[in-house]
Amino acid sequence: MKIAVMQFPGTNCEHETLVAVKAVGMDGEIFRWNRSEGELSGFDGFFIPGGFSYQDRIRAGVIASKEPVMQALLEEAAKGKPIVGICNGFQILVESGLLPGTGKIDMALAQNVMVSKGKIVRRGYYCDWVNLRHDAPSKRCSGSFIMEQGSLLKIPIAHGEGNLVTTTPKLIERLNEQEQVVFRYCDRNGRVINEFPVNVNGSTQSIAAICNPEGNVLGMMPHPERSFFAWQLPSFDPRKQRPDAAGPGRRIFESVKRYIEVSA
Amino acid sequence: MNCMGATVVATADPLRFGDPFGPKANKVRWVAEGVVDGIWQYGNALGVPNMAGDIVFNESFDDNCLVNVVSLGIVRRDQIIRSRAPPAAGEGGYDVILIGKPTDSSGLGGVTFASEALREEDEETNRGAVQIPDPFLKNVLFKANDDLFRLVREEGIEIGFKDLGGGGFTCATSEMGAAGGFGMEINLDDLHKADDFPPEVLSIAETQERFLIVSPPELRERILKIYNEHWDLPNVYEGARASVVGKINTGDRFTVSHKGEIVCDVPIQHLTGGIRYQREEKARVIELTEPDIPEPADYNQVLLKILKSPNIASREHVYRYYDTEVMGNTVIRPGEADAGLIAPVRGENFGVALAVDSNPFYGRISPYWGGATAVAEAMRNVAAIGAVPSTVTDCLNYGNPEKPEAFWEFREGVKGLSQACKDLWLKGHMGQAVPIVSGNVSFYNESPQGSVDPSPVIACVGIIKDIGKAITQELKAAGDKLFLIGPRFDELGGSEYYKTIFNVTGANVPIVRFDLERNMIYAVIDAIDEGLLAAAHDISNGGLAATVSEMALTRPAKLGFEIDLEKALGIGASASMRTDKILFSESSGFVLEAKPGKEERLLEILRGYCLDPMEIGIVTKKRRIVMKRASETVADIDLDEARAAWTSGLAEAMR
Amino acid sequence: MSQKINLRVWLKIPDAEAATVKNTLARRFGYADILNDVKKERLFSIEVDCGDVEELARSFAKELVNENKESCKILIDELNFEEGYVPVKVSLKIEDGEAISTRERLRSRLGFTNVVDVKKATIWKLYLGGMDPELRAKKIAEELLINPHKDTFEITSRMG
Repeated sequence: MKIAVMQFPGTNCEHETLVAVKAVGMDGEIFRWNRSEGELSGFDGFFIPGGFSYQDRIRAGVIASKEPVMQALLEEAAKGKPIVGICNGFQILVESGLLPGTGKIDMALAQNVMVSKGKIVRRGYYCDWVNLRHDAPSKRCSGSFIMEQGSLLKIPIAHGEGNLVTTTPKLIERLNEQEQVVFRYCDRNGRVINEFPVNVNGSTQSIAAICNPEGNVLGMMPHPERSFFAWQLPSFDPRKQRPDAAGPGRRIFESVKRYIEVSA
Repeated sequence: MNCMGATVVATADPLRFGDPFGPKANKVRWVAEGVVDGIWQYGNALGVPNMAGDIVFNESFDDNCLVNVVSLGIVRRDQIIRSRAPPAAGEGGYDVILIGKPTDSSGLGGVTFASEALREEDEETNRGAVQIPDPFLKNVLFKANDDLFRLVREEGIEIGFKDLGGGGFTCATSEMGAAGGFGMEINLDDLHKADDFPPEVLSIAETQERFLIVSPPELRERILKIYNEHWDLPNVYEGARASVVGKINTGDRFTVSHKGEIVCDVPIQHLTGGIRYQREEKARVIELTEPDIPEPADYNQVLLKILKSPNIASREHVYRYYDTEVMGNTVIRPGEADAGLIAPVRGENFGVALAVDSNPFYGRISPYWGGATAVAEAMRNVAAIGAVPSTVTDCLNYGNPEKPEAFWEFREGVKGLSQACKDLWLKGHMGQAVPIVSGNVSFYNESPQGSVDPSPVIACVGIIKDIGKAITQELKAAGDKLFLIGPRFDELGGSEYYKTIFNVTGANVPIVRFDLERNMIYAVIDAIDEGLLAAAHDISNGGLAATVSEMALTRPAKLGFEIDLEKALGIGASASMRTDKILFSESSGFVLEAKPGKEERLLEILRGYCLDPMEIGIVTKKRRIVMKRASETVADIDLDEARAAWTSGLAEAMR
Repeated sequence: MSQKINLRVWLKIPDAEAATVKNTLARRFGYADILNDVKKERLFSIEVDCGDVEELARSFAKELVNENKESCKILIDELNFEEGYVPVKVSLKIEDGEAISTRERLRSRLGFTNVVDVKKATIWKLYLGGMDPELRAKKIAEELLINPHKDTFEITSRMG
């Protein structure tokens, strides 16, 4: 089982993403964007990690989405292979049309806006730990395959453009109906409160992650590779006291592995 | 740092801005906002986590803000790359290869630009003097450099590698050649450039994101391929590439040709030998007195005002712009404790701690104690999480060294910090000073209005063998006992209390009592190592009052506390010490939360280090800040009210 | 009587973003033969309800333009561009947080209470050869320069 961790100019998180991939027992390597596209078919799954590919020129993710390697990734997706885009990876998947998977560019991840009690209290880049609620059923999507619906994850975010918006009428309704909304921002009790600080970036309906209709492509703004080990957790989390234990983010990687196993 | 073959693993940003409520408030806030924007846009794109920092507002920085940055790297000792041209370079006629951004005229005279006292009328001539960094290109270059280092390690070949800093191309090339004992010939026609600039511009421009390699000709094709093909520099950034621009020779001259003519031909040592200046120093006459002030009637209001003041308030408003988690190494991030902590090597249990400090208000009173206390505080911060202070680096910011008083301030600061490093010696190595392994000096921080307060900014790096043992500062459990070590002396000179409540400086600056300081630092490290402490926080600006309050206010802010100030008067203290002095004296110390059942052993350790532990109070389930003196209540504040003040202070000062 | 101050701001130093747009259009979209160059400007449109517009414009320029790396041109109540390129004006159709921030900064921090509104846009200057450059520019805007779910664009008609 071999995973490709994609690397564009300006990608930042490839190394720790690869660490996570290997730590759950998958084989993996970092795949530089300008390698021969044909090589991609030799992999069983893909991660597009976070960072600032092409310095977010024009807007986050768009330049990377035009690279030939993304066309090849589209073909791998059509074969049903799992693709997980994290943060900038999610932005690249949206600009490539791979998410929400309607065949065109159907949404944007726009600038963060933090609204509290009707007032804008903050804007722009934000880094903090958030709580996510798994709003899809288990086995719905590759990256959350082993997770129960309603389960909670604590994972950090660090981004300036995670505000999911769309002008396509009824798109959000469709995503809800087809269980394509995979994670929402919530408080530590699992309650979705659609304002800052619980909705950390103003995203429509507190959406933090979505998948395509087939369920093999997942895009998420939070960074599971940064919550992979318990020792990475913030100080007030009781799990941190057992530093050798697994962190919540590990479940994303274990899910991809399980997904590949059952699809084989 | 990447040039040494190291991976950059963390940054810290000590910042100093002017008075956000003073006569230049608008300019100060505009500058502060711009600086923070610049730092997060750069650091986040670079992909290096911010793990520490501080912000100090002080009117002496009204016209001269200070932006220092510390970066931390990790490299295997046997994989360090050197900057000098390697021994075989002369005979081998090694290539000089320039990589990165195309050379342009930006930054021309940038290093010398800093020396002009800024006057508004001169703004026209200041234009074009600023360097334009590019974190995106740097990020790509770092990765390409990693491929280069891997190549030369596999081939077992030594190369020279250096980044281009002040003085541009000429400085770097001559330094590399001279350091190796060789000569160098350069052809400016082979330099990739943004335009057809004159040779002197090309030679000294300080275009950022460029590196220099000195390597054997056999590796040339593979090296060029890494940058120009694998990492596709020309398409990633307009005009960027790797170009062979010259050659090392066994002579002793530095020659540069341009358009068929020799434009420079000098002995190479000429360019690299520094000029030794003999500076005059003269002690600045500092006339400060202790103020005669009445005791406050309402300590609640005083405490709330201090918690809200820009120099005490939570820094969360700023560090939320910084990516503190990238690279996945972060164990303790800003806001959780006195120092940041990362675990930089997967599979290894050790952690590296980083803290930065310097109090310009102390420097104003005594440049010597300003230096010494900066070192002591940075070390206390590292010890507070359980790490051992292992090394120090500095950025020494002072005024114009050509003025004797400013030069005196600089020398006093250096004396202070070096004394502190010697007397707070390496734990376990008696008499071995904590080494200052690198550093930077920034002079000429002055304007016609005056010079900055002496600001020797210190960064302390610490090591903890097991990240599982590190602790943070927030209160952990109701019922836990709180201990104070470090007696309260009448040392409120330069204090937050004097400044914020009375707008005076005072004279009794906190000093470093070296034996006491060292014992406190070692004792805290040992106590944490033995698992006796639930939380620890060092005392610095704002005094005891701010320290204990911060422990309750730090997330998740679920608990309160109650302390008795009478108990904070230890052996030999005067029973008549004023309440406000006990609360706000900035004498060094720590507040420790003992784990239940561990108090006896803790006392044993503290006394073993000749300390006088004072049991000052208890952590409470009730979410209030309660400070008493014997049976009298001094302050009693609702935690959420205090939190509202503490979390809004910085945002208000920067709005 | 409301007036609009337009600040056209461009980089004096190399514009990496414009270079990338040109590069991407040439290599990935097949425009190499007909696209001669791409330049970029930022546009601030500041509406004021009173005051000496010329003087205000100069003050705003001092605040908003970084003289170390940018130049600017002030236009009052009109917006026109030079010959030789198609100007594509891109702005957010959702609420523009940065523009609101700038308005607040000018009003509260700097005391320009006569500032009614601030709008920000990016102007992509597409130097296109061949037939019907405006049609081509429209296509380029739709294919690359905007994401229609958050951005809108107009091909600003040229005068001048």
